[in-house]
Amino acid sequence: MGVREPAGRAVGSEGVAPPGAAVRPQRVDDPWAQAAECFARWSDGDPGALDDLVRLMTPVLWHVVRAYRLPADAAEDVVQASWLALVRRRDAIRDPAAVGGWLTTTARREAWRVHASLDRATPVEEQDLAPRLPRQTSAETEVVAHEQRRVLWDAVDALPPRCQRLLRVVAFTNRPDYAQLASDLGMPVGSIGPTRGRCLAKLRVALIEAGAC
Amino acid sequence: MSEMSREDLLDVVRRVWEERDPVPEQLVDRMQAAAALAASDVDLELELMELVERSTELAGARGATAYTLRFVYGETDLLLRIAVEGDVSRVDGWIVPPQPMTVHAVRTSPTGREDAVVSDVGDSGRFVLADLPLGQLQLKLEPRDRARTAIATPAFEI
Repeated sequence: MGVREPAGRAVGSEGVAPPGAAVRPQRVDDPWAQAAECFARWSDGDPGALDDLVRLMTPVLWHVVRAYRLPADAAEDVVQASWLALVRRRDAIRDPAAVGGWLTTTARREAWRVHASLDRATPVEEQDLAPRLPRQTSAETEVVAHEQRRVLWDAVDALPPRCQRLLRVVAFTNRPDYAQLASDLGMPVGSIGPTRGRCLAKLRVALIEAGAC
Repeated sequence: MSEMSREDLLDVVRRVWEERDPVPEQLVDRMQAAAALAASDVDLELELMELVERSTELAGARGATAYTLRFVYGETDLLLRIAVEGDVSRVDGWIVPPQPMTVHAVRTSPTGREDAVVSDVGDSGRFVLADLPLGQLQLKLEPRDRARTAIATPAFEI
């Protein structure tokens, strides 16, 4: 079974897309379509397809969960819980095309629950998120690449925390469930689209000012 | 200067996070093992408990560490305190409500599983698993009343 809709983000559903906003081109490597294909194979009795699905989607789940600034071990627990939930409730997913969204939504809800239950007095390990640039070599191209990367990191860093979280989740998920995302972020659902627009605009300005584009 | 599209910007966000907070090494391997194990549990009609809490205590002297895990399935609550010293660990468990059970600590690996330690649960609901090897482990709780379903924790790393 193929995906129900084009892989591009549907701009219409949000009602806030700027005129001429690019719809993401159909990518041959669209992970959502691949996930659907793996899930369908697994449902048909191929146990190796579960391995493929886990390999494909674990990195996506990691980034979604870490957007909630969970420490690494808690984040790993959440990713694992999402996989176990999928295995236990596989029959609940009727349409293989829905599996990517089902997994990321499950992971985000659990991440939010754990985030809310963690002792607020315990600071999240900041060093965990601290820049880890590879050791610099003397080659000039390396230095240039290093500088360019630094500029991008700084631009993302300069965003308010809420923007960082929202954009990280949106960047790694095909179509976040806006109602759930709104409740996770403590925002009215109608403001997610505009907030995302403002966050992207901030990032664009930061990149332009830094001469990155 | 070309205007960056929304997709270009989201690509930047993706790239930045992939570089600065990369997926931990072996995470995919561990998740594959956990998912495969859960799938075989489902085939064995074992009911899987859910991890609902994890807490870490301060590391003690001489590298000893301890932490607690809490699993839930239906009305059954399982609290584990895991103490690691050197290359062995000890698990103190507490099942609420108490019920006559046998607890199997099963070592799991990609090649299969083997029973490491077995313990009976007393009337208090408490049990102890001592001298456990480190690594991936799963606890299987078998009620002595055979009519009741066995339940198991997901695999966890000691």
